[in-house]
Amino acid sequence: MSQMREPAFDRIVALVLRTGAFGCFFIMLAGLITGLFLHGEIPLQIERAGVLLMLATPVVRVIVACFLFFKEKDMKYGWISLGVLLVLMLGTMFGIGEH
Amino acid sequence: MIAALLLVVLGFCAGLLGALTGIGGGVLLTPILALHFGIPIRAAIGTSLVAVITTSAASSSVHLQRHTTDIRLGMTLELATSLGAAVMAYLVGYFNRNALEGLFAAFLLYSSIMILSRGGKVKSEDATQPENGEIPPYEPKRYPLGLSASLVAGALSGLLGIGGGPIKVPLMFIFMDVPLMVATATSNFMIGVTAGASAIVYYRRGDILAEIAAPLAVGVFMGSLIGARLAPRIHTKVIVYLLVGVMLYLAGHLILHLWGVKL
Repeated sequence: MSQMREPAFDRIVALVLRTGAFGCFFIMLAGLITGLFLHGEIPLQIERAGVLLMLATPVVRVIVACFLFFKEKDMKYGWISLGVLLVLMLGTMFGIGEH
Repeated sequence: MIAALLLVVLGFCAGLLGALTGIGGGVLLTPILALHFGIPIRAAIGTSLVAVITTSAASSSVHLQRHTTDIRLGMTLELATSLGAAVMAYLVGYFNRNALEGLFAAFLLYSSIMILSRGGKVKSEDATQPENGEIPPYEPKRYPLGLSASLVAGALSGLLGIGGGPIKVPLMFIFMDVPLMVATATSNFMIGVTAGASAIVYYRRGDILAEIAAPLAVGVFMGSLIGARLAPRIHTKVIVYLLVGVMLYLAGHLILHLWGVKL
């Protein structure tokens, strides 16, 4: 089963990743350019948005794959994707370890 | 402002070297941020993770369009890599700075020795391009071994802010009977989620500095795009030795730093 590939599936997941990477690049570039002209919080806020988009990209990629697996009635891999999503969410709940 | 420009240049060089040699740029970014930009090592790890995710997302989308990525295998192993990465990223909060710098120096030395012992060969030729568009049929084997090793690879990623490709590619290729080009693409695919799992934990702890991550990611992104274009036309062996030289220098510098010697 594993070597079975659906071009549409690959394309959708690739689109998610490319959107995240290019989006992050342009947002961060905008932050840097803004920083040339403005000081203070505004450039930093833009750069923070870029970081958040980058952190969100892998999560969205897993959600999209999960959705596609369930839609294809490929239950096993749908549940596996849901498991990966759960682990990613775990990090948002138990992230603090400041000492 | 000059610092931001330097970070773009640093990211560019790391991205370029990473794309040319197949060794992720994260290995260089963390120690350089810690040693030359005065960033605490934990924040250096968290910040270079952002650059690692950006590179993985960009290059993985290219592999996906060539249909060489095994999403099912990748997703299955990600169960283990992301768990290892998240748990280790959490534990790193309890490590002191010296332990992290020592571990990083040891990792750089180990990687350098591994590359040198293989005579500077880090990637198989054309491992990413399907020959006449055909992937031989295969069935991944030994899932228990694959999952256990992925847990370790994920933990290393969370600990050092690296992608862990040098573990995952041979694991899939040698032990799970996956063709090399699929193993390479799938490893690349997994890096985003693995690094993402630990980056979320670093972010929540305040260990990702946006003002450092932004110029770095911009540089890495451009460097790896250009590197990927140049890779087929460039003799990589010289670049690999250059990379090993930088890695050895950084390992030595980290060790001196641990002993309190100022350069």
